Amino acid sequence: MELIVALGLIVLKVALLIAILLLLPLPLTWLERKIAGHIQQRMGPMRVGWHGLLQPVADGIKLLTKEDHIPDDADRFLFKLAPILALAPPFVVFVAIPFGETVSVLGTEITLYVSNMNVALLFVFAVIGIEVYGVIFGGWAANSKYAVLGSLRTCAQMISYEIPMGFAVIGVVMLAQSMSLLEIVRAQADVWNIVYQPVGFFVFFVAGLAEAQRIPFDLAEAEGDLGAGFHTEYSGIRFAFFMVSEYAIVFLVSVLTVILFFGGWNGVLVPLPPLLWLLLKVAFFVYLFIWFRFTFPRYRYDQLMAIGWKVLLPLSMANIIITGIVFS
Amino acid sequence: MSHARHRVGAWIGWAFFADLASALALTFGYMFSRSVTMQYPDKEKWLPYPRYRGHHFLTRDEKGEIKCVACELCARICPCDCIEVIPYEDEKGNRHPAKFEIDMARCLFCGLCEDACPADAIALGQQYEFSSFSSSDLVVGRDDLLGKPGKARTGGGVVAARLNTEQDVLVETSEPQGYNWWRNIRRT
Ligand code: SF4
Ligand code: SF4
Repeated sequence: MELIVALGLIVLKVALLIAILLLLPLPLTWLERKIAGHIQQRMGPMRVGWHGLLQPVADGIKLLTKEDHIPDDADRFLFKLAPILALAPPFVVFVAIPFGETVSVLGTEITLYVSNMNVALLFVFAVIGIEVYGVIFGGWAANSKYAVLGSLRTCAQMISYEIPMGFAVIGVVMLAQSMSLLEIVRAQADVWNIVYQPVGFFVFFVAGLAEAQRIPFDLAEAEGDLGAGFHTEYSGIRFAFFMVSEYAIVFLVSVLTVILFFGGWNGVLVPLPPLLWLLLKVAFFVYLFIWFRFTFPRYRYDQLMAIGWKVLLPLSMANIIITGIVFS
Repeated sequence: MSHARHRVGAWIGWAFFADLASALALTFGYMFSRSVTMQYPDKEKWLPYPRYRGHHFLTRDEKGEIKCVACELCARICPCDCIEVIPYEDEKGNRHPAKFEIDMARCLFCGLCEDACPADAIALGQQYEFSSFSSSDLVVGRDDLLGKPGKARTGGGVVAARLNTEQDVLVETSEPQGYNWWRNIRRT
């Protein structure tokens, strides 16, 4: 009996997580277009629903009913595989992400995470790395010049940010003496990691921008010079997959930043429910992503690699060494 | 001395991303400034200036007779060849158009027909809302042209989109100098 309840709970949590992640792009696209509009002194969507609130729904219906076009010369297998490859990893990663300790519903304590892995951080980085293959395959399979250039840039940029990103979190792991995200948050109950690890945060966040392929590092899409980059040839539902994947990663990087450097669900001063604290902080970082997008220009990809190898990597290494010396 | 301080300041600014931060501050300020969007056709619409060249109209003289004498000068001068005039002669021997058709889909609103007309019979008016689903709907005949609104009398403003009659519009328009498009745009 207990086993069945536990199993049911897990299934329920996973279903809830998938539903939330699939619906996430709806509010996020609306927010993004609204913020973009107001930054450029426009209004953004206004016509569908109150202040365009139903615009994402209309867009979703449009995407679902549009022709799902596959180019003649495309590698059909990879072309169909790529959106799934891009979509699945961000979803899988959330299995290891905690959103809080426990809540009690009807007298039962329910944990706000699907699994508490002791190598959660490693798992996250390992799985999220696969997402890049979706982008690379998608650009390659479409057999279009723009798409190939987009995925080529992704290949070049991937290594240069993933290594500093991995190094940046080592400082956090050293402080918490654990790779479990739950332990990392517990270790920040008094002082958030940002106090000890400002450099780590900086490197992580910049690399996270590149990971989410957002401006200033959205080289793979680069609307200005590559059409739509790696998903130039995608349409309809497969294009929607890439969109969902992009927003899931934006959300993931924000959640990770909060968990690793900003104390997770630990609040300061104002006693709010822990989950609310977490969501508030995540919302701030999501806003930051959008704000950056409509402020900064795009870096050239040799500049991105120069930043990755010549700035972020030495910085993150120095961070590890100094953390090691100070806290040993 | 000040040069050295300037250099040090520049380096400190570089290290702490002063330029990026000021860019962020600028866009943040813009986010809370008023937007310049005119919400056409939901809330507001634009009123053309008097010299605006919109939909053609044909005029009548004091006796209510159509002014056009069907000389076909407008059809000749039209660079798009989009006016078709077929004349007839009435009992008194005056020429008038039996058929007067303008193909709006081809017209480029140059106003040459207005300039060429010896009888001041044709002119380009203020109406600009005549989109349609089929280009054959855009071939406008004589009687339609006689009913179209004339020259704009307002000075290019923005009024609520619900205002339909010219009288309403004239009452509402309070800015004789015309709408200042730049009044909400921050220039710092
Ligand atoms: S406005 Fe120009 S193009 Fe249009 S009907 Fe007159 S002459 Fe022809
Ligand atoms: S509108 Fe003027 S130019 Fe054209 S046929 Fe009539 S009188 Fe002649």
